Amino acid sequence: MKVEAIDYGDRKVYSVGAFNRGVASWLARLPTVWVEGEVTELRRSDRWASVFFTLKDPQDGSCLGVSMARGQFDALRLELADGARVHAYGRPELFEARGEFRLRALSLERFGLGEHLAALERLKTKLAAEGLFAAERKRPLPLLPARIGLVTGNDAAAKRDVLTAVTTRFPPANVLVAETYVQGPRAAGAVVEALRALCREGVDVVVVARGGGSFEDLLPFSDERLVRAIADCPVPVVSAVGHEQDTPLCDLAADVRASTPSVAGRLVVPDLAQLLERLGRSRAGLERGARRSLDRERRRLDGTHERLARAPRLLLERRRAVLEHSAGRLRALSPKATLERGYAIVRAGEQIVRSGRAVEPGERVDVELAEGGFGARVEETR
Amino acid sequence: MTFEEAQKELEQIVQRLESGETPLDEALKLWERGEELYRFCKERLDTAEGKIEELASRAEAAKP
Repeated sequence: MKVEAIDYGDRKVYSVGAFNRGVASWLARLPTVWVEGEVTELRRSDRWASVFFTLKDPQDGSCLGVSMARGQFDALRLELADGARVHAYGRPELFEARGEFRLRALSLERFGLGEHLAALERLKTKLAAEGLFAAERKRPLPLLPARIGLVTGNDAAAKRDVLTAVTTRFPPANVLVAETYVQGPRAAGAVVEALRALCREGVDVVVVARGGGSFEDLLPFSDERLVRAIADCPVPVVSAVGHEQDTPLCDLAADVRASTPSVAGRLVVPDLAQLLERLGRSRAGLERGARRSLDRERRRLDGTHERLARAPRLLLERRRAVLEHSAGRLRALSPKATLERGYAIVRAGEQIVRSGRAVEPGERVDVELAEGGFGARVEETR
Repeated sequence: MTFEEAQKELEQIVQRLESGETPLDEALKLWERGEELYRFCKERLDTAEGKIEELASRAEAAKP
């Protein structure tokens, strides 16, 4: 572009507009390039056609203004936080109206993710080698915690989800909530501090809950201090951080990993209704069992008693039978039977006469027969 | 004794009692112990207060 100068004698003078146009057209001939830096001072408004931010060189602090078409910027959905590292693809540009130099970005890419991932992988390998994630370190959760600790962000839906799940399943639960930063450079230290504070207060189990977020948002939950604090926590820890696919390192160090804050809430308390039912069943069984033993013993006792009651009669009958038997034998042996067969008993006075020599001729004897008898005198003896 | 321990012992006692093999004296002792365990468990459930507290406000309250 031809830039017109005004000649004042031998001096060529340019108007500001002409100068800016000249520089701008010269800059426009420079090639498009990639520039790396940290994003700061991001300014975006729905009323503006462009988004503005400053790229800062982390090494020496040099700054470069950048503008980018808002539609393009929004479409990238980068959710850039202050300090995020980017590669900006664009060309130098002079904003002619203000004479301001900046980079007109055509595209923008988040940079450093690879770095972060590699560092994370190194840390993971190191902690795994120390056995921090080992299955045998995992402790079972208490069935009925007296108090549950909850570490969460201050407005968090995560907090509400955990509390709702806990109180729905087990209304009498006691929960001690520690609100803390769950994002940004202070988050890791703050969560560690919250964990310790909860343990000092006395809880049986701790839930660390944070909703989903960008990779950078969740980085504090892979911080070495935080991961170690979770592994060293004196009570079991349930981690519910980010979404299923995120797996920050704290998830690996925790005793139980929950896919969502609601799941974590359900994991740390028993179902009250079920618990009461089970307890009730036990109690019923207790009574039934005791009664069964009692009944059996009672039946046994009843049986014995019956036998006891029957015993005297039985004894009597047995005795009677024995007696009858004896009586029969007695009768068989009585002299009466002998007399029936034609024998006679001879008595002299009171004495039974068994020998002829026991009587004298002329002595009176009495003869007893089976039926009746008679008196007689002895004729002779032999 | 934790709730779990009490509940476990209670259920073991019930099992033994339900087998019907225990002598009466022992059964009565078991039953007594079982009732004790039941009361313990029930009390643990009944005395839970259902409180949700914020650590910050507790710390605040603890300050002199």
